Amino acid sequence: MRKRLGIISLFVILFIAFIAIWNYSYQTGREEAYIPIENNRPIPIIPSETGVFKRSGYALEYANMPIDKNHERSLKTYYNNRAYHGAPPSIPHEVKKDRNMGENSCLKCHENGGYAEKLKAYAPVTPHPEMVNCRQCHVPQKTNSLFIGTNFPKLTAPKAGVNNALKGSPPVIPHQIQMRENCLSCHAGPSAPKEIRVSHPERINCRQCHVINNKEIKDIGTFIRNNKYD
Amino acid sequence: MYTSVTNRRSFIKKMAIMSAMTAAATMFPGVMFASEQEQKLPKGGNLDWKKAPCRFCGVGCGVLVGIEEGKAVAVKGDPKSSVNKGLCCVKGYHSVMAMYGKDRLTKALVKKNGKYVETSMKEALDLIASKMKETIKDHGKDSVSIYGSGQWTIPDGYVASKLFKGCIGTNNVEANARLCMASAVTGFLTSFGIDEPMGCYEDIDHADVFVLWGNNMAEMHPVLFSRMLDQRLKRGVKIIDFATRTTRTSMAADKSILFLPQTDLAVANAICYEIIKNGWVNKSFVEKHCNIKKGITNMGYGLEDKYKFTDKPEEISFEQYKEFLEDYSPEKVEKISGISAKDIKYMASYYGDPNKKIMSLWCMGPNQHTRGTWINNLIYNIHLLTGKISTPGNSPFSLTGQPSACGTVREVGTLTHKLPHGVVMNKKHRELAAKIWDVPVENIDPKPTYHTVEMFRALDRGDIKFMWIQVTNPMVTMPKLKRYRDATKKEGRFIVVSDIYPTPTTDIADVILPSAMWVEREGMYGNSERRTQYFEQMVNPPGEAMSDTWQLIEVAKRMGFEKQFYYKEETHIEEIYNEYRRHHEGKKHAMAPLEVLKSQPGAQWPYVDGKSTQWRFNAKYDPACSNGEEFHFYGKKDGKAIIWQRPYEPAPEEPDTEYPYWLCTGRVIEHWHTGSMTRRIPVLHKAMPHGYVELNPNDAKRMQIKTGDNVRLTTRRGEMILPAAVNERGVPAPMQVFVPFFDENMLINDLTLDAFCPISKQPDYKKCAVKAEKA
Repeated sequence: MRKRLGIISLFVILFIAFIAIWNYSYQTGREEAYIPIENNRPIPIIPSETGVFKRSGYALEYANMPIDKNHERSLKTYYNNRAYHGAPPSIPHEVKKDRNMGENSCLKCHENGGYAEKLKAYAPVTPHPEMVNCRQCHVPQKTNSLFIGTNFPKLTAPKAGVNNALKGSPPVIPHQIQMRENCLSCHAGPSAPKEIRVSHPERINCRQCHVINNKEIKDIGTFIRNNKYD
Repeated sequence: MYTSVTNRRSFIKKMAIMSAMTAAATMFPGVMFASEQEQKLPKGGNLDWKKAPCRFCGVGCGVLVGIEEGKAVAVKGDPKSSVNKGLCCVKGYHSVMAMYGKDRLTKALVKKNGKYVETSMKEALDLIASKMKETIKDHGKDSVSIYGSGQWTIPDGYVASKLFKGCIGTNNVEANARLCMASAVTGFLTSFGIDEPMGCYEDIDHADVFVLWGNNMAEMHPVLFSRMLDQRLKRGVKIIDFATRTTRTSMAADKSILFLPQTDLAVANAICYEIIKNGWVNKSFVEKHCNIKKGITNMGYGLEDKYKFTDKPEEISFEQYKEFLEDYSPEKVEKISGISAKDIKYMASYYGDPNKKIMSLWCMGPNQHTRGTWINNLIYNIHLLTGKISTPGNSPFSLTGQPSACGTVREVGTLTHKLPHGVVMNKKHRELAAKIWDVPVENIDPKPTYHTVEMFRALDRGDIKFMWIQVTNPMVTMPKLKRYRDATKKEGRFIVVSDIYPTPTTDIADVILPSAMWVEREGMYGNSERRTQYFEQMVNPPGEAMSDTWQLIEVAKRMGFEKQFYYKEETHIEEIYNEYRRHHEGKKHAMAPLEVLKSQPGAQWPYVDGKSTQWRFNAKYDPACSNGEEFHFYGKKDGKAIIWQRPYEPAPEEPDTEYPYWLCTGRVIEHWHTGSMTRRIPVLHKAMPHGYVELNPNDAKRMQIKTGDNVRLTTRRGEMILPAAVNERGVPAPMQVFVPFFDENMLINDLTLDAFCPISKQPDYKKCAVKAEKA
């Protein structure tokens, strides 16, 4: 009896030891598998400032890209594809699947651009690829006929080549930049309208020389002092 | 999450492209840019392009000014200039427009019975000379003073110093550069014994890592920043933005590290701690070329009138220095600086890596600092400990903000204690100056008088009765402005202001003189990399406007100093420059002859045997090295640079419950300094029409403030209302606000504190406590 009790207690001890060791190893195993999330102390992003540098990684490619004269876009087609200056452009081509989100359809071509054989054109690059519900704003044009005509007065878009303050000085930015902070997406590469394609995409810090002077909201006028001497 | 602009994959891709276009790469960056710009100009024009340094910042870009029918009508970057290689920034491209504002001063104005009356230049100059003589007679020579600037050309500053220090015999000569780079000067003098950077801009083409110490280069030194971005495309260099505020620079940088105001002192020491702990010290360099010293701590902040301070340096051993650094382990510094120990180690590892060439760049962050001299010393410590100095790509580089802060204020020496060569306290230096100036040596007072803040305090107290202000706008830029504005209006003070436009400073003047600016006259500027650049007169000044140099000469002659001011009107700039060069003879500081400056986009001093010196203290490049070693810090008698033991000390006025925010002030890319020129350029005014206060988005949300809402800022000095800017140009850290100082209708300096670095006497515009609330 004493012998049996001894064997039983031995097994009990072994079992408890097993539980303890197993539990310990399980816990340490979990610990090792756990990767603490590091606080990277992220710096705030300044919406109006970040865009400028967004595609700068491609700047050299843009600078060295040969120009395909036969498939250039013009500023006229660029503006014609919008209801008014500053409106989201419509989709000028057929869209196969109506229920897709941007990342697996639109962005395939419009994130970085490239030549589309079928459309005989270069895909324009979106300045805001992080917004993937593209068709929230961009809609196709399925018919040319109208339900009823419109009296909507289309805003005149700024002209290219007339925005310099001095002969040969860097042109100002004549448009608003909300949603279009990313200069290179429209001003560089083969899909850029030829009138506004930048000759020096490798300079990166665009707004070092080009400042915003848009008159769309209100013309700011010139500086006038409060204090006068006469 | 913040992500780096270049990732490794795209970098490798770029390297492949680069190897395929090495030939083209040698043409980069944009050496062809100006010619391309020219192609776009209307054909058949009759433009005559003439070279000049840019009017604005201390980078000193070479520009070509297009002249048509006697007017300056266009600007392009000078492709021959090694500074900017054909590129400018938006201010440079439009700089000539600053000459054509509608309210340009063209006639002298004299205040009579509270009204400004137009007078002839002759009459105004007569009045100034007689007023000066009368003041000296009644109140002594130290009751007259001149306050100039880093925008003075070299001849302007030279004749001012000669007239006041040499002829009148007062050391009441100061310049706004005291507010801008005095700490850089004392930093250089304490660490190396001789002023100005050892390296040059070409370091940018060699360095692998750039650490920007509180320096928003994308806006303030955009052309140099472009050169860094260009190197990143070509070679994949790293740009680290170490700052208190998130800016355009942070957006472009590979890494942005935000620290709490004033704790840069602790972080710099922590970097040194890591360098020593990890054995990254360049032992032979430190043994051969460095001494270690400590100075007085708890110096105070100069808030009281007639504050005096003299440091007492004391030599210490490396072991003692190491022991001192024990308080600055990254883990300890983490607690006060608000940046992680990991980020401190990250920066230290780049400084310590012997295979990485590293450049530290700074400007107003470390300079406008109540411990400005210390933080300058501490940055040099890092470079000295690792031996990363005075070689291409290894360069602690102090940038400047004015076109001739170096050329005029630092080299000509238009500060109270300075002479063109050396200091007034030194007998030999006085003798040399007196000999060249043709004055008795007793004329030069061996005692310095007032530094800028104290000079305006003296004006307030009545110790100074007469002040002549040229090319600067102190009624916008003085800290604790209200006291000093009121001072100028006191009875018995006589203020002369030479400027090109009406400003808040001309508002308080008794006589306003119309000045000829920049290329309306002949002159030279000296930029941050010791480059002296010449410009000829290209257009005529409007009305009776006269160069500051000639104004001073006319007054000097009227005061009876015809002998010393013998210059002829047609050739005076050349005569002055040749006379000035004599002060700097010798291998350590020789200036290039005028013919050289006329023939090329500037030359760097020391200019020895027909060659500019790019890297000083390095025997390979600098002919002044004479100790037979690889390096020779000849500014110090024993040829050794000094590693300074400098602790962290808090700012004089830190946020508390009543004033819970930090107030920082600064610039924006569009406007230069007080905006008196750039605001008259329509393109720039339209891009940035008025001042504002930047708030952190979380603070703004809590106070229910959005962009454009009025915010009331209150400090112990006063209060004002400004429109808010949330998530616009920059984002301050939580519980901090930022206000640019260019807007004369929102004089933020009414709120700032006039505390200064006890060694350099440069005020701190970046830190004081403020209350912010919705108005």
